[in-house]
Amino acid sequence: MSSPRLTPATGAATLNDFTGDSFLRRAGRQLVVTIYGAMRVIRLYPPENEAVKHALDELASSARHILEREKELEFKASNEFIFVNATRLRLDLDNYASFSQILSLLRVCGVGSFRVSEEATSRDWLVFLSVLMAQAKDAESPTIGDLLERLEGAGVRVFDLGPPQENEDDTDFQRRAKEAAKRTYAQSVAVTKEVINSVRMGQAPSIKKIKRVVQSIVDQILNEETSLVGLTTIRDYDEYTFTHSVNVCIFSVALGRRLGLSKLQLYDLGLAALFHDIGKSRVPVTVLNKVESLNDDDWRWLAAHPWLGVLTLFHMRGQQELPYRAMVVAHEHHMKTDLTGYPKAIRPREQSIFSRIVAVADGFDAATTRRVYQTVPMSPAAVLAGMRDNARRGFDPVIVKGFINLLGVFPVGTLVVLDTFELALVHASNPRPEALSRPIVRIVSDDRGNILYPGTLADLTEQVENGAFRRTIIKTDDPGRYGINVGDYFV
Amino acid sequence: MFARAIRAHQLYLPNNPTYVRALDMARASFAPIWQHTDELVLEVTDTQLKWEGRVVVNEPDKTVDALPWTLYKDGLRELRLLRDAEQQEFIGLLEVIARVRRGGNEDDDLLTLLWEREFNFIRYRYIDLTIDGMAPLEVSDTANNQRLVDPANVQAPPQEDILPAGVVSLDEFNTTLYFLEENEIEYLRESVRREYESDLRRNVVTILLDIYENQIDATVRDEICGILDILLVNLLTAGQLGTVATLLREVGTAASRARELAPEQRERLLLLADRLSEPEALSQLLQSIDERAEAFEQEELNQLFAQLRVRALGTIFLWIGRVQNQKVRAQLETAAARLASANTSELVRLIGVPERDISLEAIRRAGAMKTPAAVTVLGRTLTHADDEIRLASVNALAEIATPGAMQQLEKALDDHSRDVRVAVTRAFATRTHRPALSRIESMIKERKLQGADLTEKMAVFEAYGAMCGANGVPLLDGLLNGKGMFGKREDTEIRACAAMALGRVGSDAAQAALRRASGDKEILVRNAVNRGLRGGPPS
Repeated sequence: MSSPRLTPATGAATLNDFTGDSFLRRAGRQLVVTIYGAMRVIRLYPPENEAVKHALDELASSARHILEREKELEFKASNEFIFVNATRLRLDLDNYASFSQILSLLRVCGVGSFRVSEEATSRDWLVFLSVLMAQAKDAESPTIGDLLERLEGAGVRVFDLGPPQENEDDTDFQRRAKEAAKRTYAQSVAVTKEVINSVRMGQAPSIKKIKRVVQSIVDQILNEETSLVGLTTIRDYDEYTFTHSVNVCIFSVALGRRLGLSKLQLYDLGLAALFHDIGKSRVPVTVLNKVESLNDDDWRWLAAHPWLGVLTLFHMRGQQELPYRAMVVAHEHHMKTDLTGYPKAIRPREQSIFSRIVAVADGFDAATTRRVYQTVPMSPAAVLAGMRDNARRGFDPVIVKGFINLLGVFPVGTLVVLDTFELALVHASNPRPEALSRPIVRIVSDDRGNILYPGTLADLTEQVENGAFRRTIIKTDDPGRYGINVGDYFV
Repeated sequence: MFARAIRAHQLYLPNNPTYVRALDMARASFAPIWQHTDELVLEVTDTQLKWEGRVVVNEPDKTVDALPWTLYKDGLRELRLLRDAEQQEFIGLLEVIARVRRGGNEDDDLLTLLWEREFNFIRYRYIDLTIDGMAPLEVSDTANNQRLVDPANVQAPPQEDILPAGVVSLDEFNTTLYFLEENEIEYLRESVRREYESDLRRNVVTILLDIYENQIDATVRDEICGILDILLVNLLTAGQLGTVATLLREVGTAASRARELAPEQRERLLLLADRLSEPEALSQLLQSIDERAEAFEQEELNQLFAQLRVRALGTIFLWIGRVQNQKVRAQLETAAARLASANTSELVRLIGVPERDISLEAIRRAGAMKTPAAVTVLGRTLTHADDEIRLASVNALAEIATPGAMQQLEKALDDHSRDVRVAVTRAFATRTHRPALSRIESMIKERKLQGADLTEKMAVFEAYGAMCGANGVPLLDGLLNGKGMFGKREDTEIRACAAMALGRVGSDAAQAALRRASGDKEILVRNAVNRGLRGGPPS
């Protein structure tokens, strides 16, 4: 029996904890929004303007609100996350622009954290933000020392600045996140396999297990999505149908999160995504595993899986309510936004947003995977470009945009050749929103061609002294050409 | 206190004083705890709850009635209540526990229910009994092998032209292209809102029927029919009448246009609507509509009834008289009227059925709808043994009011029921049906009204006054002002009715007759005369 694990809302000892208490989550987000609001008006208007005064008063008040209750206020930036008093704030559509701008500003200024004293006034905040913005604009490589000097010069002593650091906590957090992601992924694939096989054998699958798996995926994505999204590169871990279903579930939930869905909506989406190919349980295994080229009958079987999925879900026992949403998604995930594609739609209706999300996730994972009837997978970057540029494929352009925003121009798992002639695998999209084309990569071969395992991480935004980037992608390539098993680098 | 609150939550409604008291006491019991700590951490074992190592709940039975076992069996190992949990989320926790206790094997377990609640003040540790213990992920054997890549490959041109060697697409680096604009965010929000507002079941019904029409395989079509059969019952149970209507309508569409549809397949499809129109099934539906706590929209009922077979009309008529809920009755009447107006021949048929309640409602509906086709059969029901049916028939014929209908009414002038006779004469008065004048006049002249009550007398005179015109004044004047052989006047009620009829005639001669009686000593007569002179309504 494994040791107990904590809930997503549990205390600091768990990787699942990014929430702290609800007060800090709410008040922290309010603080971020008011900082962002103040930054915007300071840029536009002189300090004496009423809008500036009002925004600064609100900011000072937000900070005081936290200080009164918590007795301390530490604002910390780490990768794409913001922590207030060690509680990680949640991102959503309403606030991600503010998060992005503040993180960017602190990063450029070399600030990892700042503590605010109880005496901080509106004027202090005005000086602090003005100095930060001026430093970001003017100085070539601002340091905390420069900032402190300018604050001191303006008589502001209520902010205690700290440098960015990947400290023990961050490393530990990431290690535990990765372990949790691996466990979640393995469980998800195993449960999916069990469910699909149960259906194939005419037995009742365990819906409880499926629900727990999707809950784990949602928790993981809300917690730390990079590790789990990285594991979607494990294309040969098991039979395609099972890993594919899990991958589509992960991509869909991650994309749904990026598009602003709530936790319970992500759960609905995840369940539907995990079941999207359930109709394949009624396609003969000989067709699914056929090595030689498929004949017309085989293709007909494969094209039938969306509507077979609807019928299959009707016969699934062990659930309180029929999974209607999953049925719709199973039926529509190969349709285009205008309901053309397959199966043929006769009666008019609107394609579900969940179907559109799963269609993008499914299209991406399917095209980037080596399968029995697709021996040469496309590179992830090529697939994304195709989805984006080829309107005839019928993907929802806004969702594709969100998907590229999620994965980066070079999605996780892409093998890239750098101008240093090193080979690298894209590890994660860059937390700096303006650097989508410069992801975090794992160097998997040095410039002399030695394959490295596990390799080392490198941020492609890293610059050398003359301001040039240390490494730049010059092309993408097929990892199979180099005998590289992408999944190994994410396990 | 905790366990007691759980029991009270299961047993009583939220407004029950016992429940409120139990809840208050449970909440109050947290106060001393918060004086010492900000969080109450309960260790959960199969039979006990422990706080700081001390047993605070001990229930050795491993049944769902025992709190420790209820929590433990689904994997919970620690329950942590933060300060204010008892105010903010305690009821939510009680609901979760109650659901777990009530739930069967197929219901959601404790962990899923807790997860869905998104508690902020209640936290827990658990082991996942359902999915733990799976094989871990391992790297492949090649991962640690020392090897070299071929530099030629590295330096060769790329295999695909996403980023041609040495040339960078500016678009790829314009990352703002991938940020969602405000209008795109709004589009997504709107899509999600529509997703959660849409009727998923209706979508699934249309999907199933799309599949039915696209797939000509008999096995598939049979399977879909089986699913629709079950779905129909599910939808009825869930009260999704609009979706049931969609299902029945689209089934009809599929039956009429699906390609390569065998006659038996068509028959099976149409059987769905047939079944719901059967008296037993429809009675179940109508009963559930009547007993349901929340009312349906009229449009929903109309849509559903429009899909029923015509033979459903009889059952609906039967239930209009049975339903308890007044609003539902009005809704049923409206929906039944729509169905009946589209199926007049069935309506006419139902007038003649032996089931009294159905016949009665059909008669009423025929009248309300002014259905000329019902006149003949209504003429027959005028001789029905049941007074109420005859009365309803008279009223219906009076509503229809065609010459044929009025002619049929003459049959009922001598009906043995006073109510029927009154209704008939009133109908004649309202419609000024002159062909009946001679019979009315003979009733007056031949003193057939002597045994009648005032209401009936008034009805007859009213009818006479409406039809007789100036020719009737002498008779009425004689009744009002004339004297018999020994100077005896007519019966007071007859004289008052004659005055009323004269008022209705309204001619100069009639007015003169009325004025002659204006000083009559009988107050009943005097009042009637005064009203007649004023042209006012009869009292």
